[in-house]
Amino acid sequence: MTKKVAVVGVGYTDFNSMTPEVSWKEFMYEACQKAYIDAGVDPREDIDSFITCSEDYWEGFSIFDEFVPDQIGAVLRPCCTVCGDGLYGLGNAYMQIKTGKMNIVAVEAHSKISDLLTFGDIGLFSYDPIFDRPVTGSVDRTHFAGIPSYEKNSPKPLVGKTNEKERIHPYFLAGLEMQNFLRKTGTTEEQCAKVVVKNKKNAFNNPNAEYEVNITIEDVMNSEYLFKPIKKLDISLNVDGAIAFVLASEEAVKKLDVEPIWLRGFGWSSETPWISTRSMDANYAMLASRMAYKMTDINNPRKEIDFAEVDDRFSYKELQHLEALGLAESGEAGKMLDSGDLDLNGSLPTNISGGSLGIGNCFEATGLQKALEVVIQLRGHGGKRQIEDVHTGISQSWRGIPSGSGAVAIFGR
Amino acid sequence: MTFYEKQTDPSSPMHWLGDMQADYLYPNGKAGDKLFKHIKENDTFLASKCINCSKIFFPPRLYCEDCFVEILEKDWFEIPSTGKIRLHTIVTINTYGEKLNEPKMIALIDIDNTDGALLGIIKTDNIDENLIGRKVEAVFKSKNQREGTLKDILYFKMR
Ligand SMILES: [Zn+2]
Repeated sequence: MTKKVAVVGVGYTDFNSMTPEVSWKEFMYEACQKAYIDAGVDPREDIDSFITCSEDYWEGFSIFDEFVPDQIGAVLRPCCTVCGDGLYGLGNAYMQIKTGKMNIVAVEAHSKISDLLTFGDIGLFSYDPIFDRPVTGSVDRTHFAGIPSYEKNSPKPLVGKTNEKERIHPYFLAGLEMQNFLRKTGTTEEQCAKVVVKNKKNAFNNPNAEYEVNITIEDVMNSEYLFKPIKKLDISLNVDGAIAFVLASEEAVKKLDVEPIWLRGFGWSSETPWISTRSMDANYAMLASRMAYKMTDINNPRKEIDFAEVDDRFSYKELQHLEALGLAESGEAGKMLDSGDLDLNGSLPTNISGGSLGIGNCFEATGLQKALEVVIQLRGHGGKRQIEDVHTGISQSWRGIPSGSGAVAIFGR
Repeated sequence: MTFYEKQTDPSSPMHWLGDMQADYLYPNGKAGDKLFKHIKENDTFLASKCINCSKIFFPPRLYCEDCFVEILEKDWFEIPSTGKIRLHTIVTINTYGEKLNEPKMIALIDIDNTDGALLGIIKTDNIDENLIGRKVEAVFKSKNQREGTLKDILYFKMR
Protein backbone atom coordinates (compact mmCIF):
# COMPACT_ATOMS: atom_id res chain seq x y z
CA MET A 1 0.00 0.00 0.00
CA THR A 2 1.23 3.45 -0.86
CA LYS A 3 2.34 5.39 2.19
CA LYS A 4 2.15 8.93 0.91
CA VAL A 5 -0.16 10.92 -1.35
CA ALA A 6 0.89 14.11 -3.11
CA VAL A 7 -0.63 16.98 -5.02
CA VAL A 8 1.06 16.80 -8.43
CA GLY A 9 -1.02 19.27 -10.38
CA VAL A 10 -3.28 22.26 -9.86
CA GLY A 11 -5.36 24.22 -12.35
CA TYR A 12 -7.71 27.12 -11.86
CA THR A 13 -9.65 29.73 -13.73
CA ASP A 14 -9.60 33.39 -12.93
CA PHE A 15 -12.14 34.37 -10.26
CA ASN A 16 -14.79 36.72 -11.62
CA SER A 17 -18.00 38.20 -10.28
CA MET A 18 -19.75 36.86 -13.35
CA THR A 19 -18.82 34.73 -16.34
CA PRO A 20 -21.63 34.90 -18.88
CA GLU A 21 -19.26 34.12 -21.75
CA VAL A 22 -18.66 30.49 -20.70
CA SER A 23 -20.89 27.61 -19.68
CA TRP A 24 -20.21 25.83 -16.40
CA LYS A 25 -18.91 22.88 -18.45
CA GLU A 26 -16.34 24.96 -20.30
CA PHE A 27 -15.37 26.51 -17.00
CA MET A 28 -14.64 23.08 -15.51
CA TYR A 29 -12.79 22.04 -18.67
CA GLU A 30 -10.47 25.02 -18.36
CA ALA A 31 -9.50 24.25 -14.75
CA CYS A 32 -9.03 20.54 -15.42
CA GLN A 33 -7.02 21.05 -18.59
CA LYS A 34 -4.68 23.36 -16.70
CA ALA A 35 -4.29 20.89 -13.83
CA TYR A 36 -3.57 17.97 -16.15
CA ILE A 37 -0.95 19.94 -18.06
CA ASP A 38 0.55 21.12 -14.76
CA ALA A 39 0.87 17.49 -13.63
CA GLY A 40 1.93 16.27 -17.07
CA VAL A 41 -0.80 13.65 -17.25
CA ASP A 42 -3.25 12.60 -19.94
CA PRO A 43 -6.67 12.15 -18.33
CA ARG A 44 -7.69 9.58 -20.93
CA GLU A 45 -4.68 7.39 -20.12
CA ASP A 46 -3.15 8.23 -16.77
CA ILE A 47 -5.90 9.29 -14.37
CA ASP A 48 -7.59 6.36 -12.64
CA SER A 49 -10.51 8.13 -11.01
CA PHE A 50 -12.30 11.49 -11.11
CA ILE A 51 -14.12 13.29 -8.30
CA THR A 52 -16.22 16.43 -8.62
CA CYS A 53 -17.75 18.36 -5.73
CA SER A 54 -21.08 20.04 -6.19
CA GLU A 55 -24.55 20.78 -4.94
CA ASP A 56 -27.47 20.36 -7.36
CA TYR A 57 -29.35 23.43 -6.20
CA TRP A 58 -26.40 25.75 -6.84
CA GLU A 59 -26.06 24.31 -10.33
CA GLY A 60 -29.70 24.44 -11.27
CA PHE A 61 -30.19 20.88 -12.47
CA SER A 62 -30.58 17.46 -10.95
CA ILE A 63 -28.04 14.65 -10.73
CA PHE A 64 -24.99 16.83 -11.30
CA ASP A 65 -22.69 13.78 -11.39
CA GLU A 66 -24.35 12.61 -14.61
CA PHE A 67 -23.27 15.80 -16.35
CA VAL A 68 -19.57 15.80 -15.57
CA PRO A 69 -17.57 13.11 -17.31
CA ASP A 70 -17.06 14.81 -20.68
CA GLN A 71 -15.59 18.14 -19.57
CA ILE A 72 -13.09 16.59 -17.16
CA GLY A 73 -11.84 13.75 -19.36
CA ALA A 74 -13.72 11.06 -17.47
CA VAL A 75 -16.08 9.50 -20.03
CA LEU A 76 -16.39 5.76 -19.39
CA ARG A 77 -14.03 5.98 -16.41
CA PRO A 78 -14.54 5.76 -12.63
CA CYS A 79 -16.22 9.05 -11.75
CA CYS A 80 -18.29 10.30 -8.86
CA THR A 81 -19.53 13.49 -7.21
CA VAL A 82 -19.18 14.44 -3.57
CA CYS A 83 -22.09 16.58 -2.51
CA GLY A 84 -19.94 18.93 -0.49
CA ASP A 85 -17.00 21.27 -0.32
CA GLY A 86 -13.94 20.60 -2.47
CA LEU A 87 -11.81 19.57 0.51
CA TYR A 88 -14.14 16.59 1.00
CA GLY A 89 -13.31 15.61 -2.58
CA LEU A 90 -9.62 15.88 -1.77
CA GLY A 91 -10.08 13.58 1.24
CA ASN A 92 -11.95 11.08 -0.90
CA ALA A 93 -9.19 11.14 -3.50
CA TYR A 94 -6.66 10.52 -0.73
CA MET A 95 -8.59 7.49 0.47
CA GLN A 96 -9.02 6.09 -3.04
CA ILE A 97 -5.26 6.27 -3.58
CA LYS A 98 -4.61 4.69 -0.18
CA THR A 99 -6.62 1.62 -1.25
CA GLY A 100 -3.87 0.87 -3.72
CA LYS A 101 -6.44 0.53 -6.51
CA MET A 102 -5.90 4.05 -7.85
CA ASN A 103 -2.59 5.74 -8.55
CA ILE A 104 -3.68 9.11 -9.90
CA VAL A 105 -6.97 10.80 -9.02
CA ALA A 106 -8.39 14.15 -10.16
CA VAL A 107 -10.60 16.40 -8.00
CA GLU A 108 -12.64 19.36 -9.25
CA ALA A 109 -14.88 21.95 -7.57
CA HIS A 110 -16.28 25.21 -8.86
CA SER A 111 -18.68 28.06 -8.36
CA LYS A 112 -20.83 29.27 -11.23
CA ILE A 113 -23.05 31.06 -8.76
CA SER A 114 -23.67 34.04 -11.04
CA ASP A 115 -25.87 31.73 -13.11
CA LEU A 116 -28.28 31.57 -10.17
CA LEU A 117 -30.85 34.36 -10.23
CA THR A 118 -32.56 33.55 -6.92
CA PHE A 119 -29.55 33.04 -4.66
CA GLY A 120 -31.24 34.14 -1.44
CA ASP A 121 -34.22 31.87 -1.94
CA ILE A 122 -32.08 28.85 -2.79
CA GLY A 123 -30.13 29.66 0.36
CA LEU A 124 -33.32 29.39 2.38
CA PHE A 125 -33.78 25.88 0.97
CA SER A 126 -30.91 24.80 3.20
CA TYR A 127 -32.92 25.52 6.34
CA ASP A 128 -35.12 22.83 7.90
CA PRO A 129 -38.50 23.26 6.17
CA ILE A 130 -40.61 22.40 9.22
CA PHE A 131 -38.80 23.95 12.18
CA ASP A 132 -36.57 26.75 10.81
CA ARG A 133 -37.73 27.97 7.43
CA PRO A 134 -41.16 29.29 8.48
CA VAL A 135 -39.48 31.95 10.65
CA THR A 136 -37.89 33.43 7.52
CA GLY A 137 -41.34 34.15 6.16
CA SER A 138 -40.99 31.79 3.21
CA VAL A 139 -43.82 30.40 1.10
CA ASP A 140 -46.83 32.17 2.49
CA ARG A 141 -49.47 30.72 0.20
CA THR A 142 -53.09 30.15 0.91
CA HIS A 143 -52.75 26.38 0.96
CA PHE A 144 -49.54 26.33 2.94
CA ALA A 145 -50.45 23.20 4.85
CA GLY A 146 -51.76 21.40 1.79
CA ILE A 147 -50.88 20.93 -1.88
CA PRO A 148 -49.33 24.10 -3.36
CA SER A 149 -51.61 25.75 -5.82
CA TYR A 150 -51.14 28.73 -8.08
CA GLU A 151 -54.34 30.67 -8.10
CA LYS A 152 -55.17 34.25 -8.78
CA ASN A 153 -54.34 35.38 -5.28
CA SER A 154 -51.09 33.35 -5.07
CA PRO A 155 -49.63 33.24 -8.56
CA LYS A 156 -46.65 31.21 -9.66
CA PRO A 157 -43.50 33.22 -8.95
CA LEU A 158 -41.90 34.86 -11.95
CA VAL A 159 -38.48 33.77 -13.14
CA GLY A 160 -35.72 35.37 -11.11
CA LYS A 161 -38.03 37.28 -8.86
CA THR A 162 -41.10 36.49 -6.83
CA ASN A 163 -43.69 38.79 -5.41
CA GLU A 164 -42.72 37.71 -1.91
CA LYS A 165 -40.62 40.63 -0.72
CA GLU A 166 -40.58 40.02 3.01
CA ARG A 167 -38.65 36.76 3.06
CA ILE A 168 -35.49 37.40 5.03
CA HIS A 169 -32.03 36.73 3.64
CA PRO A 170 -30.55 33.36 4.68
CA TYR A 171 -27.35 34.92 6.07
CA PHE A 172 -29.25 35.99 9.22
CA LEU A 173 -27.91 32.92 11.05
CA ALA A 174 -24.36 34.29 10.73
CA GLY A 175 -25.54 37.35 12.66
CA LEU A 176 -26.53 35.11 15.58
CA GLU A 177 -23.28 33.18 15.35
CA MET A 178 -21.13 36.31 15.26
CA GLN A 179 -22.90 37.70 18.32
CA ASN A 180 -22.16 34.41 20.08
CA PHE A 181 -18.48 34.56 19.09
CA LEU A 182 -18.02 38.17 20.18
CA ARG A 183 -19.67 37.56 23.55
CA LYS A 184 -17.81 34.34 24.33
CA THR A 185 -14.34 35.52 23.35
CA GLY A 186 -14.41 39.26 23.97
CA THR A 187 -13.46 39.82 20.34
CA THR A 188 -14.64 43.20 19.05
CA GLU A 189 -16.44 44.26 15.88
CA GLU A 190 -13.37 46.38 15.09
CA GLN A 191 -11.17 43.31 15.14
CA CYS A 192 -13.53 41.57 12.70
CA ALA A 193 -13.42 44.70 10.53
CA LYS A 194 -9.65 44.43 10.56
CA VAL A 195 -9.91 40.93 9.03
CA VAL A 196 -11.79 42.48 6.10
CA VAL A 197 -9.15 45.21 5.67
CA LYS A 198 -6.30 42.68 5.81
CA ASN A 199 -7.76 40.13 3.41
CA LYS A 200 -8.93 42.65 0.85
CA LYS A 201 -5.46 44.19 0.95
CA ASN A 202 -3.81 40.77 0.59
CA ALA A 203 -5.89 40.25 -2.53
CA PHE A 204 -3.91 42.98 -4.32
CA ASN A 205 -1.05 40.48 -4.52
CA ASN A 206 -3.25 37.74 -5.95
CA PRO A 207 -3.83 38.38 -9.65
CA ASN A 208 -6.81 35.99 -9.63
CA ALA A 209 -8.68 37.74 -6.82
CA GLU A 210 -11.80 39.72 -7.64
CA TYR A 211 -12.50 41.84 -4.57
CA GLU A 212 -9.22 43.54 -3.66
CA VAL A 213 -9.78 47.01 -2.28
CA ASN A 214 -7.86 49.44 -0.11
CA ILE A 215 -10.19 50.31 2.76
CA THR A 216 -9.95 51.20 6.42
CA ILE A 217 -11.46 49.76 9.58
CA GLU A 218 -13.72 52.84 9.67
CA ASP A 219 -15.04 52.02 6.20
CA VAL A 220 -16.07 48.58 7.41
CA MET A 221 -17.44 49.89 10.70
CA ASN A 222 -19.47 52.52 8.86
CA SER A 223 -20.99 50.09 6.39
CA GLU A 224 -24.61 49.36 7.28
CA TYR A 225 -25.75 46.55 9.54
CA LEU A 226 -27.48 43.84 7.51
CA PHE A 227 -27.60 41.14 10.19
CA LYS A 228 -26.44 42.99 13.27
CA PRO A 229 -23.62 42.67 14.34
CA ILE A 230 -22.75 41.75 10.74
CA LYS A 231 -22.19 44.71 8.48
CA LYS A 232 -22.25 44.82 4.72
CA LEU A 233 -18.46 44.73 4.36
CA ASP A 234 -18.11 41.78 6.79
CA ILE A 235 -19.61 39.53 4.13
CA SER A 236 -17.68 37.94 1.27
CA LEU A 237 -19.27 38.54 -2.10
CA ASN A 238 -20.08 35.79 -4.58
CA VAL A 239 -17.58 34.88 -7.25
CA ASP A 240 -17.32 32.36 -10.11
CA GLY A 241 -14.27 30.14 -10.37
CA ALA A 242 -13.21 26.54 -10.99
CA ILE A 243 -10.30 24.67 -9.40
CA ALA A 244 -8.88 21.23 -10.16
CA PHE A 245 -6.28 19.14 -8.33
CA VAL A 246 -4.39 16.04 -9.44
CA LEU A 247 -3.28 13.71 -6.64
CA ALA A 248 -0.87 10.80 -6.97
CA SER A 249 0.58 7.96 -4.94
CA GLU A 250 4.22 8.06 -3.90
CA GLU A 251 5.00 5.48 -6.60
CA ALA A 252 3.23 7.45 -9.32
CA VAL A 253 4.99 10.66 -8.27
CA LYS A 254 8.33 9.08 -9.17
CA LYS A 255 7.22 8.69 -12.79
CA LEU A 256 6.05 12.29 -13.08
CA ASP A 257 8.31 15.28 -13.58
CA VAL A 258 6.82 17.34 -10.76
CA GLU A 259 7.66 18.67 -7.33
CA PRO A 260 5.21 16.86 -5.05
CA ILE A 261 3.39 18.67 -2.27
CA TRP A 262 2.37 16.00 0.21
CA LEU A 263 -1.14 15.78 1.60
CA ARG A 264 -0.07 14.86 5.10
CA GLY A 265 -3.26 14.99 7.07
CA PHE A 266 -6.98 15.22 6.59
CA GLY A 267 -10.05 15.36 8.79
CA TRP A 268 -13.70 16.24 8.65
CA SER A 269 -16.67 16.56 10.99
CA SER A 270 -20.37 17.47 10.99
CA GLU A 271 -22.41 18.99 13.77
CA THR A 272 -26.08 18.16 14.16
CA PRO A 273 -28.07 20.14 11.58
CA TRP A 274 -30.67 20.98 14.24
CA ILE A 275 -30.31 24.62 15.17
CA SER A 276 -32.26 23.67 18.30
CA THR A 277 -29.43 21.63 19.80
CA ARG A 278 -26.22 22.52 18.05
CA SER A 279 -23.51 24.76 19.37
CA MET A 280 -22.83 28.09 17.74
CA ASP A 281 -19.10 27.44 18.07
CA ALA A 282 -17.07 25.99 15.23
CA ASN A 283 -16.86 22.52 16.79
CA TYR A 284 -16.75 20.99 13.32
CA ALA A 285 -13.45 22.76 12.65
CA MET A 286 -12.06 21.83 16.04
CA LEU A 287 -12.82 18.13 15.59
CA ALA A 288 -11.73 18.02 11.93
CA SER A 289 -8.40 19.62 12.83
CA ARG A 290 -7.74 17.22 15.72
CA MET A 291 -8.29 14.32 13.33
CA ALA A 292 -5.89 15.85 10.82
CA TYR A 293 -3.26 16.71 13.47
CA LYS A 294 -3.29 13.13 14.72
CA MET A 295 -2.75 11.81 11.22
CA THR A 296 0.07 14.30 10.64
CA ASP A 297 1.67 13.68 14.07
CA ILE A 298 1.26 17.34 14.94
CA ASN A 299 1.25 17.88 18.71
CA ASN A 300 1.71 21.63 18.83
CA PRO A 301 -0.08 23.13 15.84
CA ARG A 302 0.89 26.70 16.76
CA LYS A 303 4.57 25.76 16.46
CA GLU A 304 4.44 23.20 13.68
CA ILE A 305 2.15 24.98 11.23
CA ASP A 306 3.74 27.84 9.32
CA PHE A 307 0.69 29.45 7.74
CA ALA A 308 -3.07 29.03 7.40
CA GLU A 309 -5.83 29.44 4.86
CA VAL A 310 -9.12 29.29 6.74
CA ASP A 311 -12.71 29.93 5.84
CA ASP A 312 -13.43 33.67 6.11
CA ARG A 313 -16.75 33.98 4.30
CA PHE A 314 -17.82 36.26 7.13
CA SER A 315 -15.09 38.31 8.81
CA TYR A 316 -15.58 36.78 12.29
CA LYS A 317 -15.23 33.30 10.79
CA GLU A 318 -11.47 33.73 10.24
CA LEU A 319 -10.89 34.44 13.92
CA GLN A 320 -13.40 31.82 15.10
CA HIS A 321 -11.78 29.19 12.88
CA LEU A 322 -8.20 30.02 13.95
CA GLU A 323 -9.28 29.47 17.55
CA ALA A 324 -11.15 26.26 16.72
CA LEU A 325 -8.08 24.93 14.91
CA GLY A 326 -6.00 25.48 18.05
CA LEU A 327 -3.83 28.05 16.25
CA ALA A 328 -4.98 30.65 18.77
CA GLU A 329 -6.36 30.40 22.29
CA SER A 330 -9.98 31.41 22.80
CA GLY A 331 -10.15 35.19 22.47
CA GLU A 332 -6.56 35.44 21.21
CA ALA A 333 -7.08 35.43 17.43
CA GLY A 334 -8.19 39.07 17.40
CA LYS A 335 -5.14 40.03 19.43
CA MET A 336 -2.85 38.14 17.05
CA LEU A 337 -4.45 40.10 14.24
CA ASP A 338 -3.88 43.37 16.09
CA SER A 339 -0.21 42.58 16.69
CA GLY A 340 0.43 41.67 13.06
CA ASP A 341 0.87 37.92 13.61
CA LEU A 342 -1.56 37.13 10.79
CA ASP A 343 0.22 39.34 8.23
CA LEU A 344 2.54 38.14 5.47
CA ASN A 345 5.60 38.59 7.69
CA GLY A 346 3.86 37.60 10.92
CA SER A 347 4.21 34.42 12.94
CA LEU A 348 1.08 32.85 11.41
CA PRO A 349 0.32 34.39 8.01
CA THR A 350 -3.40 33.81 7.44
CA ASN A 351 -5.41 34.08 4.24
CA ILE A 352 -2.50 35.59 2.35
CA SER A 353 -4.38 34.61 -0.82
CA GLY A 354 -6.94 37.27 0.03
CA GLY A 355 -9.32 34.64 1.40
CA SER A 356 -12.96 34.61 0.52
CA LEU A 357 -13.27 38.28 1.49
CA GLY A 358 -10.63 39.22 -1.09
CA ILE A 359 -11.11 36.56 -3.76
CA GLY A 360 -14.84 36.06 -3.36
CA ASN A 361 -17.12 33.35 -2.01
CA CYS A 362 -16.64 30.44 -4.41
CA PHE A 363 -19.06 28.05 -2.66
CA GLU A 364 -18.13 24.38 -3.09
CA ALA A 365 -14.73 25.46 -4.44
CA THR A 366 -13.92 27.41 -1.27
CA GLY A 367 -12.00 24.56 0.39
CA LEU A 368 -9.99 23.93 -2.76
CA GLN A 369 -9.21 27.65 -2.99
CA LYS A 370 -7.70 27.41 0.52
CA ALA A 371 -5.80 24.23 -0.41
CA LEU A 372 -4.66 25.81 -3.69
CA GLU A 373 -3.03 28.71 -1.85
CA VAL A 374 -1.25 26.30 0.49
CA VAL A 375 0.12 24.38 -2.51
CA ILE A 376 1.17 27.58 -4.30
CA GLN A 377 3.01 28.77 -1.18
CA LEU A 378 4.71 25.42 -0.56
CA ARG A 379 5.82 25.33 -4.19
CA GLY A 380 7.28 28.81 -3.73
CA HIS A 381 5.10 30.19 -6.51
CA GLY A 382 3.51 32.94 -4.40
CA GLY A 383 5.28 35.80 -6.18
CA LYS A 384 4.74 39.05 -4.30
CA ARG A 385 2.76 37.25 -1.63
CA GLN A 386 5.24 34.40 -1.11
CA ILE A 387 5.71 33.61 2.59
CA GLU A 388 9.33 32.93 3.49
CA ASP A 389 10.58 29.56 4.66
CA VAL A 390 7.34 27.55 4.72
CA HIS A 391 7.20 23.79 5.19
CA THR A 392 3.73 23.04 6.56
CA GLY A 393 0.44 24.75 5.77
CA ILE A 394 -3.13 24.15 6.82
CA SER A 395 -6.31 24.69 4.82
CA GLN A 396 -9.76 24.60 6.38
CA SER A 397 -13.23 24.67 4.90
CA TRP A 398 -16.72 25.27 6.20
CA ARG A 399 -19.82 24.30 4.30
CA GLY A 400 -21.36 27.77 4.63
CA ILE A 401 -24.61 29.08 6.11
CA PRO A 402 -26.46 27.37 7.77
CA SER A 403 -24.18 24.34 8.00
CA GLY A 404 -22.07 23.07 10.86
CA SER A 405 -19.72 20.97 8.76
CA GLY A 406 -16.15 21.40 7.69
CA ALA A 407 -12.88 19.77 6.71
CA VAL A 408 -9.18 20.33 7.25
CA ALA A 409 -6.23 19.37 5.05
CA ILE A 410 -2.57 19.74 5.99
CA PHE A 411 0.12 19.89 3.35
CA GLY A 412 3.90 19.72 3.55
CA ARG A 413 6.88 19.86 1.28
CA MET B 1 -8.71 30.57 -20.76
CA THR B 2 -7.62 27.45 -22.57
CA PHE B 3 -9.84 27.88 -25.58
CA TYR B 4 -8.67 28.72 -29.07
CA GLU B 5 -10.80 31.83 -29.23
CA LYS B 6 -12.29 34.09 -26.60
CA GLN B 7 -15.42 36.17 -26.49
CA THR B 8 -14.58 39.82 -27.01
CA ASP B 9 -18.02 41.14 -27.89
CA PRO B 10 -19.91 41.83 -24.64
CA SER B 11 -23.27 41.71 -26.37
CA SER B 12 -22.76 38.25 -27.82
CA PRO B 13 -23.16 35.78 -24.90
CA MET B 14 -26.52 34.09 -25.17
CA HIS B 15 -28.37 32.13 -22.54
CA TRP B 16 -31.50 30.19 -21.87
CA LEU B 17 -33.58 31.39 -18.95
CA GLY B 18 -34.52 28.48 -16.71
CA ASP B 19 -37.45 28.55 -14.35
CA MET B 20 -37.02 25.53 -12.15
CA GLN B 21 -40.14 25.01 -10.09
CA ALA B 22 -39.50 23.35 -6.77
CA ASP B 23 -42.57 22.84 -4.62
CA TYR B 24 -42.53 20.15 -1.99
CA LEU B 25 -44.89 18.72 0.52
CA TYR B 26 -42.70 18.29 3.59
CA PRO B 27 -44.25 15.85 6.07
CA ASN B 28 -43.95 17.10 9.64
CA GLY B 29 -42.89 13.60 10.66
CA LYS B 30 -44.37 11.68 13.57
CA ALA B 31 -42.76 13.89 16.20
CA GLY B 32 -43.57 17.11 14.36
CA ASP B 33 -47.15 16.00 13.74
CA LYS B 34 -47.68 15.37 17.43
CA LEU B 35 -46.19 18.76 18.34
CA PHE B 36 -48.16 20.76 15.81
CA LYS B 37 -51.46 18.99 16.54
CA HIS B 38 -50.86 19.98 20.16
CA ILE B 39 -50.02 23.59 19.26
CA LYS B 40 -53.18 23.80 17.17
CA GLU B 41 -55.28 23.26 20.29
CA ASN B 42 -53.06 24.63 23.06
CA ASP B 43 -50.87 27.62 23.89
CA THR B 44 -48.13 25.35 25.21
CA PHE B 45 -45.38 23.19 23.69
CA LEU B 46 -44.39 19.52 23.96
CA ALA B 47 -40.91 18.19 24.68
CA SER B 48 -39.39 14.70 24.69
CA LYS B 49 -36.70 13.35 27.01
CA CYS B 50 -34.00 10.77 26.39
CA ILE B 51 -34.05 8.31 29.31
CA ASN B 52 -30.44 7.42 28.62
CA CYS B 53 -28.83 10.87 28.95
CA SER B 54 -31.77 12.95 30.24
CA LYS B 55 -31.44 15.45 27.39
CA ILE B 56 -34.77 17.16 26.81
CA PHE B 57 -35.52 17.92 23.19
CA PHE B 58 -37.50 20.83 21.89
CA PRO B 59 -38.71 20.55 19.20
CA PRO B 60 -39.47 17.03 20.46
CA ARG B 61 -37.91 14.10 18.61
CA LEU B 62 -38.43 10.37 18.34
CA TYR B 63 -34.77 9.58 18.99
CA CYS B 64 -31.79 11.02 20.84
CA GLU B 65 -29.05 12.35 18.59
CA ASP B 66 -26.41 11.85 21.27
CA CYS B 67 -27.27 8.29 22.35
CA PHE B 68 -28.98 7.07 19.16
CA VAL B 69 -31.81 5.51 21.15
CA GLU B 70 -35.56 5.84 20.73
CA ILE B 71 -37.60 8.18 22.88
CA LEU B 72 -40.89 6.55 23.88
CA GLU B 73 -44.31 8.13 24.14
CA LYS B 74 -44.22 8.04 27.94
CA ASP B 75 -41.23 10.37 27.91
CA TRP B 76 -43.10 13.20 26.19
CA PHE B 77 -44.54 15.97 28.31
CA GLU B 78 -46.10 19.41 28.14
CA ILE B 79 -43.97 22.52 28.66
CA PRO B 80 -44.81 26.22 28.74
CA SER B 81 -44.30 28.19 25.53
CA THR B 82 -41.74 30.44 27.18
CA GLY B 83 -38.02 30.87 27.02
CA LYS B 84 -34.99 33.09 27.27
CA ILE B 85 -33.23 34.92 24.44
CA ARG B 86 -29.75 33.43 23.91
CA LEU B 87 -28.79 35.42 20.79
CA HIS B 88 -30.47 37.89 18.49
CA THR B 89 -29.84 39.63 15.19
CA ILE B 90 -31.61 42.35 13.26
CA VAL B 91 -32.26 41.52 9.62
CA THR B 92 -32.69 44.41 7.22
CA ILE B 93 -32.69 42.75 3.77
CA ASN B 94 -34.81 40.22 1.93
CA THR B 95 -33.65 37.30 -0.21
CA TYR B 96 -32.92 39.67 -3.11
CA GLY B 97 -30.79 41.95 -0.96
CA GLU B 98 -33.49 44.63 -0.96
CA LYS B 99 -34.57 46.51 2.17
CA LEU B 100 -37.37 44.89 4.15
CA ASN B 101 -40.38 47.10 4.90
CA GLU B 102 -39.09 47.19 8.44
CA PRO B 103 -36.13 45.45 10.14
CA LYS B 104 -36.93 42.12 11.78
CA MET B 105 -35.40 40.83 14.97
CA ILE B 106 -34.73 37.09 14.84
CA ALA B 107 -33.63 35.39 18.04
CA LEU B 108 -32.38 32.01 19.13
CA ILE B 109 -34.58 31.31 22.14
CA ASP B 110 -33.67 28.70 24.76
CA ILE B 111 -37.01 27.09 25.54
CA ASP B 112 -37.72 26.78 29.27
CA ASN B 113 -37.41 23.35 30.91
CA THR B 114 -35.62 21.89 27.87
CA ASP B 115 -32.17 21.61 26.30
CA GLY B 116 -33.55 22.87 23.00
CA ALA B 117 -33.89 26.22 21.31
CA LEU B 118 -36.08 27.72 18.62
CA LEU B 119 -35.63 30.50 16.09
CA GLY B 120 -38.30 33.11 16.65
CA ILE B 121 -39.32 36.59 15.61
CA ILE B 122 -39.13 39.08 18.49
CA LYS B 123 -41.56 41.96 18.67
CA THR B 124 -40.11 44.81 20.69
CA ASP B 125 -40.51 48.57 20.83
CA ASN B 126 -36.79 49.25 20.84
CA ILE B 127 -35.09 47.02 18.28
CA ASP B 128 -31.60 48.32 19.13
CA GLU B 129 -31.81 47.24 22.77
CA ASN B 130 -29.65 44.35 23.95
CA LEU B 131 -32.19 41.66 24.81
CA ILE B 132 -29.87 38.78 25.60
CA GLY B 133 -31.11 36.82 28.61
CA ARG B 134 -34.57 38.38 28.51
CA LYS B 135 -37.60 36.17 29.19
CA VAL B 136 -40.06 35.82 26.33
CA GLU B 137 -43.31 34.03 25.61
CA ALA B 138 -44.87 32.85 22.36
CA VAL B 139 -47.80 34.73 20.90
CA PHE B 140 -50.04 32.40 18.90
CA LYS B 141 -52.62 32.94 16.19
CA SER B 142 -56.18 32.69 17.43
CA LYS B 143 -57.13 29.01 17.68
CA ASN B 144 -59.57 29.01 14.77
CA GLN B 145 -56.84 30.29 12.45
CA ARG B 146 -54.13 27.80 13.34
CA GLU B 147 -52.98 25.38 10.63
CA GLY B 148 -50.65 23.10 12.53
CA THR B 149 -47.36 24.64 11.40
CA LEU B 150 -44.65 26.72 13.06
CA LYS B 151 -46.44 29.74 11.63
CA ASP B 152 -49.08 29.29 14.29
CA ILE B 153 -46.55 31.13 16.46
CA LEU B 154 -46.80 34.73 15.30
CA TYR B 155 -43.84 36.01 17.31
CA PHE B 156 -42.36 36.12 20.80
CA LYS B 157 -42.95 39.01 23.22
CA MET B 158 -41.24 40.10 26.43
CA ARG B 159 -42.63 38.62 29.60
ZN1 LIG C 1 -29.57 10.60 24.94
